[in-house]
Amino acid sequence: MASNSDNSAVGMPQLDFSTFPNQIFWLVVFCVVLFAIVKLFIIPRMEDIFANRRKIIDGNIAKAEEIRLRVSEIEKQIEEELQKAKSQCDEIMNASGHNIKEQMASALEDSKIATAQLISEAEGRLKELRDGSEAAIEKISEELASEIISKISRGK
Amino acid sequence: MEKQSAFNIHPMDQFIIDPILTGDSLEWFSFTNQALWMLISLVSISFVFIYGSRKHQLVPGRLQSIAELMYFFIRDMIIDIAGQEGLRYFPYIFTLFILILFGNVLGLLPYSFTYTSHIAVTGFLALSVFIAVTIIGFVKNGLGFLSLFWISSAPLALRPILLIIEVISYFVRPVSHSIRLAGNMMAGHAVIKVFAGFAGALGLGAVAPIFAITAVYGLEMLVVVIQAYVFTILTCVYLNDALHPGH
Repeated sequence: MASNSDNSAVGMPQLDFSTFPNQIFWLVVFCVVLFAIVKLFIIPRMEDIFANRRKIIDGNIAKAEEIRLRVSEIEKQIEEELQKAKSQCDEIMNASGHNIKEQMASALEDSKIATAQLISEAEGRLKELRDGSEAAIEKISEELASEIISKISRGK
Repeated sequence: MEKQSAFNIHPMDQFIIDPILTGDSLEWFSFTNQALWMLISLVSISFVFIYGSRKHQLVPGRLQSIAELMYFFIRDMIIDIAGQEGLRYFPYIFTLFILILFGNVLGLLPYSFTYTSHIAVTGFLALSVFIAVTIIGFVKNGLGFLSLFWISSAPLALRPILLIIEVISYFVRPVSHSIRLAGNMMAGHAVIKVFAGFAGALGLGAVAPIFAITAVYGLEMLVVVIQAYVFTILTCVYLNDALHPGH
């Protein structure tokens, strides 16, 4: 009871029940004020800070996502270009191969025709020559025969 | 305490409720040293949480980090223990936590008064938690709240015995809850005061008790935070029991 009369505690001051109403009164006042501070100032402020931070982080994540999408788009474009270039290359190679074959075929055809012509020409000439030689032999033999006859008749 | 002869040690004097404005008479409304330290605690809390984070910094400074650390520590603790529904009671639990934490920490200052060392204070807080949790339990679950005492996972024969044990342990909660905190605070401070008394009486030999005070003081810094944490986490556990009584 008389805890503060002689400036020294007798036993535990905690068990001095006469101080309880006073303690509880001030504790209740303290709790109510503290709760008001927590509810009105601390929580809104902390939530605000947290929400702000969240917003910025989310914004950055969204930005990163956007950049990632763009990168994948660019990659797709590159892939497309590559594909195009490849197919073009294939086409060119195909076309040139085809050309070469065609040219070769036509060259072969040309040479075949030329040789055929040459052969027929040569045959014609040969025939001509043969005909020519037959006529010449005939002529020579005729001349020879008439000469022989004249010689014989003269020799008589 | 009663040893007035050689050593002049009064380790319990620091807990005396002293009306500092109205002379010696202690009415229920007298402004006491305890009320003063509650006020100081209020100012400190406002300093850390309101002044410290006044700039709403994205990257927090020192004080704001401390405030955020405490805030999200308690928030995460409630979610971990009592689930998302527990967050509704976050303002109350957070108030309880900083009230006890600042009371404990400020109590370590020399010449200060530790309001959490008084059983009236901790008892009031523990009883408030007990009553609030019981009401929440019945409001949320109706009579289903009583399934907290009827352990359906135990064999049927054991259940009546467990019922008695559970009911007793339930009603012992506010007692253990409050005495744990007040006892820890009182013991630590009394020990420091006893060693300080030795130091005063020993002259040059005071080096040993002063070393002991330093050691106990370091330990007390730990205890002070842990007890605030324990009080809060137990509140969360009780709240979880009220929200989900079916274990």
